[in-house]
Amino acid sequence: MPIGMDKNILRIQGLSKSFDGNSVIAGVSLDIERGELSSIIGPNGAGKTTLFNLITGYHLPDAGRIVFEGRDIVGMQPFEIVRLGIGRAFQITSIFPRLSVLDNVLAALITHRGGNLNFFTPTRKLREVHERAHQVLKDVGLSEMAQQQSGTLAHGNQKRLDIALALALEPKLLLLDEPTAGMSPEERWETVELIQDLWQRLKITMLFIEHDMDIVFKISQKVRVLCYGSLIAQGTPEEISKDRKVIEAYLGEET
Amino acid sequence: MLAEGTVPIEFFLFILLNGLSQGMVLFIVASGLSLVFGVLRVINFAHGALYMMGAFLAFSLSTLLNMTSFISFLLLMLLVPPAIGLLGLGLEIPFFRRIYSKEHLLQLLLTYAILLVLDDVCRLIWGGDIRNVPRPQVLAGSVELFGLFLPTYNVFILVVGPIIAVGLWLLLYRSRAGNLIRAAVSHPAMLGALGVNVSRVMTGTFVLGCWLAGLGGVFMSALANIDLGIGMEKIIECFAVVVIGGLGSIGGALLGSLIIGVGIAFIQLPLSRLAIVFPYIAMALILIWRPWGLFGRPER
Amino acid sequence: MGGNNEKGKTWIWPGVLVGALLILPFVLSQLGRTGEYWIWVTTEMIIMALFASSLNLILGYGGMVSFGHAAFFGVGGYTVALLMKKAGVAFVPALIAAPLAAALAAAMIGWFCVRLVGLYFAILTLAFGQLLYMIVFQAYHFTGGDDGIHGIPKPGFLDPVNYYLLCLILFLGCFWLMKMIVNSSFGLSIRITRENAVRAGFIGMNVKRYQWLNFIVAGAFAGLAGGLFTELNRFAQTEFLHWSRSGDAVFACLVGGMYSLVGPAIGSTVLIFLKIVLQQFHQSLVEIWALFLGLILLCVVLFAPEGLVGLYQHKARGLLVKSEPEFT
Repeated sequence: MPIGMDKNILRIQGLSKSFDGNSVIAGVSLDIERGELSSIIGPNGAGKTTLFNLITGYHLPDAGRIVFEGRDIVGMQPFEIVRLGIGRAFQITSIFPRLSVLDNVLAALITHRGGNLNFFTPTRKLREVHERAHQVLKDVGLSEMAQQQSGTLAHGNQKRLDIALALALEPKLLLLDEPTAGMSPEERWETVELIQDLWQRLKITMLFIEHDMDIVFKISQKVRVLCYGSLIAQGTPEEISKDRKVIEAYLGEET
Repeated sequence: MLAEGTVPIEFFLFILLNGLSQGMVLFIVASGLSLVFGVLRVINFAHGALYMMGAFLAFSLSTLLNMTSFISFLLLMLLVPPAIGLLGLGLEIPFFRRIYSKEHLLQLLLTYAILLVLDDVCRLIWGGDIRNVPRPQVLAGSVELFGLFLPTYNVFILVVGPIIAVGLWLLLYRSRAGNLIRAAVSHPAMLGALGVNVSRVMTGTFVLGCWLAGLGGVFMSALANIDLGIGMEKIIECFAVVVIGGLGSIGGALLGSLIIGVGIAFIQLPLSRLAIVFPYIAMALILIWRPWGLFGRPER
Repeated sequence: MGGNNEKGKTWIWPGVLVGALLILPFVLSQLGRTGEYWIWVTTEMIIMALFASSLNLILGYGGMVSFGHAAFFGVGGYTVALLMKKAGVAFVPALIAAPLAAALAAAMIGWFCVRLVGLYFAILTLAFGQLLYMIVFQAYHFTGGDDGIHGIPKPGFLDPVNYYLLCLILFLGCFWLMKMIVNSSFGLSIRITRENAVRAGFIGMNVKRYQWLNFIVAGAFAGLAGGLFTELNRFAQTEFLHWSRSGDAVFACLVGGMYSLVGPAIGSTVLIFLKIVLQQFHQSLVEIWALFLGLILLCVVLFAPEGLVGLYQHKARGLLVKSEPEFT
């Protein structure tokens, strides 16, 4: 099937990964449809972040296939996979702390456009990139803090910057690892609104890991449940809430 | 002295023995470095300088003793390492302790600074001359083994080395102190929660590491000539060892040390002038081919 | 970066400094033998400032500790020495060849070294540095081994004052180039590899490749410094590649301030100056220079890791937070 015509932007088949003999992902298969806004949930240690790490090339799977837009991406380096169009926001914010917020985004944009080898033009003179950077900052609501040193931002804003760094790359698939982790209830809903807004406007396929069930139910079109490295259920939030296996998996778990 | 045509078996064994002895001394020193890294997560550049100080201290002490007696040599083995350990204590408390939490860059720079200081202290005290410690009578000369005449001292090292290795193993795996040290490697926070004075464990490990460096120095002082270059030489060899054997592994350190020791000894034959670069080449090759060492695990 | 007013201001102090530096040799040449000595010393200071600054591209901006940078200094130096003494090449082409040869060496060594990170990178740079030192040491017939190469010709028009000026102009040119590089997209790319190499990969950057390029650029500047140094002294010595010389550059960056462009130059100059002052006061003190240096370093690492420039910045602004490199 020609690239881009498949209704599934990402296909995972039989993915497995162990660390030190412990199986963390065991034979996971799932498909992500183009344009979906879906979530992955599961008790702690279910392997959710590892799944993201495998998709983005940070880890090498022991077995299985990962096909993105018709292309097998297993074995590729993270930077290559990112360039193909998978963006990632991290659970523990991963930014460039001593640089300003603006410089953070500029770096992402310049890299995205392949302009890293420019030894001569001072970055402050790249007008077009600056415009686009300010646009991105506006999208995530960080315009006012553009000149601030990113390491000094409040946690919630650092998370937004983390997302902005992924957005700047104009990804086709955006993976968000616990985008609301560590936030106050207010901030959480702000972030959720942001995610929804971005999804509606930019038409990116989004997949996020979440622990807060309210959020999951509010915005996911589809939910996939991971438990001990296996996919135990997938479906609409409604279906999942009634699924026996899911309920069992969460019994005794504090949400 | 190089034989033309085929190399006689005696010659081969002689070189092998020499390489193994050097490897043993290297193991003693490298195990100290590896231990310190395992527990303190700091690579101590100055470790080579401590080894060198041990060697020179042994030399100075030897001038005061009658070195024909084995007791004198034993005295060196008993007095010098603790002295170096004490020196290590003097370094750990004001300096090393402060950098455990700092970024690796600064840690490296600090230990490098200490290396410089110690290196110069050695130059000041002992000057640039080549020294050595005379072997005690009972260890001088050669001993006949399997019909071959081999230097007694080298055989001595080959006997003592494994004893120390076993002693180290026993200490780490069969004693309470060892349990604490190993726990500090894997679960430092837990250890603190259990009421153990983790800081003391770290200091103790560091002192042990320095003790080992000093001991290695003592052995080397009678094995070969010592001069101001041996510090840097040894630390690079130690790096080669931990690269090959992996950091924090005693067994790996042993294997790595023997490989490096024997490698240097044998390369001396055809390429004596480049023999000295063997550890560098070995290390460079291994770091490039398998950056996680021969015994480690790949990152991805 | 502020309006015209501020821009005008930021040029005053550097301008004064450069002006003073330009006039200096002429003033010194009036002072007889002492003057001659100081012209030589200040020329060396300028060259070493270049060397230290070149390292900082890797160390301060790239966040990678290299203990083998003297290798490129030495390659540059020996290139000039060999070309001029043994191949009869003129000064200018030899000087052009120096950074090129050093860049080649950096490309080869750097390719291996950037495969590794942090500690292992540092060890490997040290190992390669020592390796090159040993090779030069052993290759007696080619490099003169421990004796080095002496009696390198010096063109007549390069009297001490003119040579000083040449070095100063080249240094200023290189400084300007480095400033441009650091402020460019490439510079930003290098800085993010220091801040968060993993994330740099996740924004699509081939981190290894850029670290390699940075390594080469840094090596080239070091090679130029080495070439200038060789011609200044009219000899090349194995000592040029010794690990202690690599250490000198590291310390200059640390003492002066790794997070700024001028820091290494300041650090290098201060350390050389201290060494000379010490020598004037007490001849034998030079023998314990390393000891002294080590102690200075301990203090810097423990109390002022951002070096002299960092101290100045904190004092001037009363900040307690680490700030981004300030480019003067």
